[in-house]
Parts: sequence; structure tokens; C-alpha cells
Amino acid sequence: MKPIMLQGHERAITQIKYNREGDLLFSSSKDNKPNVWFSLNGERLGTFNGHQGAVWCIDVDWTTTRFMSGAGDNTFKIWDCATGKEIGNISTASSVRTCMFSYSANMAVYTTDRAMKQPCEMFIIDTRLVDDSISNQAPILRIPIKDARISSILWDNVDESIISGHENGEITQWDLKTGRQINSVKEHSLLINDMQWNKDGTMFITASKDHTAKLFDAKDLLLLKTYKTERPVNSAAISPIFEHVVVGGGQDAMDVTTTSARVGKFDSRFFHMVFEEEFGRVKGHFGPINSVAFHPDGKSYSSGGEDGFIRVHTFDSSYFEYNFDY
Amino acid sequence: MPAAEDVKSSWADEVELEGGSLPPSTEVFEHGFKIVTDYKYNDDDKKVKFVRTYKIEKRAVSKSIALRKTWKKFGECATDKPGPNPATTIAAEDVYMQYITSKEEDNKQEDDGMDKLKAMGDKNVVKCRTCNGDHWTSKCPWKDTMLAGGKVPDDKKNAGVAGTTAGPTGGDTGKQGSKYVPPSMRDGASKRGDGPNMPRRDDSYCAIRIANLSDSTTESDLEDLVKPFGPIQKLYLAKDKVTGQCKGFAYIHFKFRNDAATAISVLDGYGYDYLILSVDWSKPSPNQ
Repeated sequence: MKPIMLQGHERAITQIKYNREGDLLFSSSKDNKPNVWFSLNGERLGTFNGHQGAVWCIDVDWTTTRFMSGAGDNTFKIWDCATGKEIGNISTASSVRTCMFSYSANMAVYTTDRAMKQPCEMFIIDTRLVDDSISNQAPILRIPIKDARISSILWDNVDESIISGHENGEITQWDLKTGRQINSVKEHSLLINDMQWNKDGTMFITASKDHTAKLFDAKDLLLLKTYKTERPVNSAAISPIFEHVVVGGGQDAMDVTTTSARVGKFDSRFFHMVFEEEFGRVKGHFGPINSVAFHPDGKSYSSGGEDGFIRVHTFDSSYFEYNFDY
Repeated sequence: MPAAEDVKSSWADEVELEGGSLPPSTEVFEHGFKIVTDYKYNDDDKKVKFVRTYKIEKRAVSKSIALRKTWKKFGECATDKPGPNPATTIAAEDVYMQYITSKEEDNKQEDDGMDKLKAMGDKNVVKCRTCNGDHWTSKCPWKDTMLAGGKVPDDKKNAGVAGTTAGPTGGDTGKQGSKYVPPSMRDGASKRGDGPNMPRRDDSYCAIRIANLSDSTTESDLEDLVKPFGPIQKLYLAKDKVTGQCKGFAYIHFKFRNDAATAISVLDGYGYDYLILSVDWSKPSPNQ
């Protein structure tokens, strides 16, 4: 396959996300401008200019009308997808680490880091009407997190609950009616960097610094499968058409300069979802992979790395013909 | 103003002008391809022609996607032309998904090893140091009757274990005495007939050494390289223990000497992966 390399960012990629139909690919990096690209030919549609610091998290609603981003400059912004104009801005007490639209996009969640004597907090806000007034609007729900900070988040069960992944490897499920935690498991031993749904929202996959990616049942947070690697895992995604899982990672950014690209494991690694066995690798990045995402049609996937590049891979026929031996 | 036309700038300026003007870039549409031709100066101040060919595809998409395709570019790329901007969108080199099947092969090898061990189990894996019987030294029936020199008295031995031949160290073989004799030089062993002057293995005749391989060479690459010459008995690629990269040389044992000879004649000086291979017979190390 011939990947398309997207070079719109000046610094390490933090997150990439397709919209629901998969025609657009959103990306954020530690520079301050999230980008949006046409996934088919890699043409850049635009950049969202306005943040002052590293952009940590992004999301787009299901109609691809609004896009949101949270950044290290203590702001959380909502943008108009079509024009790239900022339509809402919320100032926070510390940097915004995770954010996500609910399925209907009537609500959104974002969490802030524990920093500068501020606790880690989770905010649920109403996003039905987004304009200048949103900055003064009180959140629907505000949950302070006492211990380990939230490092990844997912809306669950059609907007009724939230699943959060924490710095210490815990996964917690929150009921939004009461604001209490329903369930909590600790299957990872280190920070959970990323969580992604499968296609129908029954299972999700976590990627953790403890060198594993794990598959959970969303209903009761039951650990189903574990995918082991030798390096910290930064991101993992589930194929929408096959029982495949793609895992991206690599050693920590601080160790990169002392390791050559060939020895460092900067490959996207494909595991069989059920048998937990690695069956394929794709090379290309020369830094650890920070974010991976499957195209919603399952025929291509993208990865964004610490090297600042996004690579859009369209699978060859060999991938579709490949049969896993078991 | 006809007079003005006659006034020409100096020839030096003209030369500079000529040098400065590049042919305009052109776009041609034909047979579903868009061909863009650009001219640029490279680092050596030479004119370079760039031809980029785009394939034009038509795809039916849903209305919402079609609408999004009409959106105007914004932000940093508001001034970009339609189509991908080569500054931000680059077609990368081909990459392939490497399918991992090594696991099965590993298992097979282990099994082979186990089979061999099992097959050997029937033969003398265990050998007594005192009487050469099929048992541990400590379990030797002659343990208690051992002589001072660690030898079993001949009469007892013959009487006790019928069929056990006298071990090389057992009998009074005269000259050797109690001096250590390597197993290959002992009476029973020397019947294989390969003296120290003979080469150890016949297959070293068919072994070739390939040197100057690139770091990234793998065993499968090597196999592809030498397979066409004939059946291969053994293939050894020297690899770095830590990185697993090729150390630059490999030994190939062919089944037939003729194949090895053709391989040498063809591959010596062959350009492979940006390096030129040097191939020769594998020479046994001088101390062998």
C-alpha cells in the first residue's frame, strides 16, 4: 500500500479521529492548530486557529457540524466544522486533557488535569446551543476526581453514563443521573492513554503504558482480552469489519533519541481480536505512534506519531484475503 | 513609442532575464489523468522539470459528504488551490504489511529437536565412566569393586555383564596407560576413517560465503537470492545478537557442488541492495 503522509503539524501528534462517515480526518498536535483533512486524498481542508498551547484532545459530533478541542492553554473550544470559526470558548482552571461529544451531541464531557493546586475535574456541558454565552454557562454536572487523574474518556450507553480511564490504570463507570460512580476495575497497572469503541458500542479497547492493550465489555467492565507488546501502548483501535485490532505505541518520547528507528518498535501492530495473537505489522513512523484510528469502512486506517506525521494507509487486497490460521 | 522598443537593456541583463524566466506550469487533462508540469531550479541552479500525474476518480458519495466536499478551505490553507497541496500532503513510499507466521515455524523446529532427543533416548545417552554401560556412573554394578585406578578387574567384568565390550579405558591397551585419549582417537572410535588431514564434513565443499550484505538483509531475502541456483541444505545468516540485524555475511550450504559453483560465478560482484556482493567458497578456518 502507498500511504499518504500528512505534514500539517509542526510537533508531535496527540490525537487523530475520523468523523462518522470517515470522509474527514481530524488531527491535533502539540502545536496549537488542529487540522482537518479529506481522508481520501489527503487534501487539507483547514486548520482551527486560536489555541495558544498544545492541543490534547479533539472530537467531532456525528453530523460533522461542530468540532471541539481541549488544550494546554486552559481552554476548551468548540468550532464550526465548515468554516473553522470558533463558536464557543470555555476557560478552565488547568489544561484540558480529554473531551468527547455524547452520541447525540446534545452534551459534551471534558476533563481537566490536576495541576496548579487544581484537582482533576470532569465537566458535563450542554451543547445544544453553542454561542458566546457558553463560557458563562454552568455545567450540567461537575465531578471532582479525588485520586488519579482522568487520561481518557468515553460516552457510554447512549449518553447515560461515562467511562473514564485513569492515570493509575483504573477504569471507572459513572452514572450521569446521580453523578456517582457505578463500577470500577483496575486491570491496568499504568496510565491508560486511549480508549476506543468497537463499531456497535458493546466493547471498548484500552491502550496503556503498561505495554498492553485490553478489550473490555462495556456493560460490566469485564476484561475480555489482552494484547501484549514489549513497549508502552499509546493507542489501539478495533476494526469495524474484521476481528482485528491495531495497536500503536513505542518507547517513551524521552528514550527515542537513544534508539534507532529500526530497533525501536514504531510499527502499527495488528492483532487478532479473539486469539490475541499478532499477525501483521506496518512500518513507517520514525517515532512512537501516539494515535491510531480505523476508517469507519474498515478499508483504511491512519496513525499519527511523535514524529509529527499522520500516515493514511489504504489496505491492499492481501489484507482482505488474509486468513488467520488457528 | 517606437523609440522605446529599440532601447534594449545590456546583454548581461538579458541573460539574467532569460535565466530568471521559467516556462509556466501547465495542466493537461487526458484519459482520466491530470498531468501537471512545473519547472523549478534545483540547488545547483539547474532547471528541473517536475511532472506530476494525478488519477482522477469519480466516486458516488452520500449527500452529506458531497456537501462537505464543497466547503471552502479555511485557516492556514485558505489560500491553497483545490486539490492536495504538495507541501502538506505527500505520497509516501510503498509499505507492506508484514504478516507474521514465524510462530509456527518456531514450534516446528522445537518439535524436530524433541523428536531427535526422543530418537536418541533409545541409544546411549547415558554412559558409565567406569564400565561404559548404559547407566549412570553412580549406579554402576562395579562401583564397589572398582580398583584404585578406577578400572574394573577384567575377570569380573566379563563374568558379570555379558555382551558389554571392554571399554577403551578399561583394558590394558598398553602404551596409552592412564594418559587421556580424546574419544575420537580411541580404539573403537577411529574406525570412521576421517583422519585429521581429511576435511570434517563433506558439505563444506558445497558451502559458499556471501559477504558485503546490507544490514537489512533477512533470511528470507537470502533464500530468495540463492534459491534459483539449486537445493539448499543449510543457510546461515550472521546476525547481531542485540539488534537482530545482519552482520554482513552469510554461509550457504548447497546440496550439490555444481549449484554452489554457479552461484559463486553469478553472485560474485552482483549488486544487491545498493552493495556489491563478494561471494566465494567457504574456507574452513585454519585451526580445523
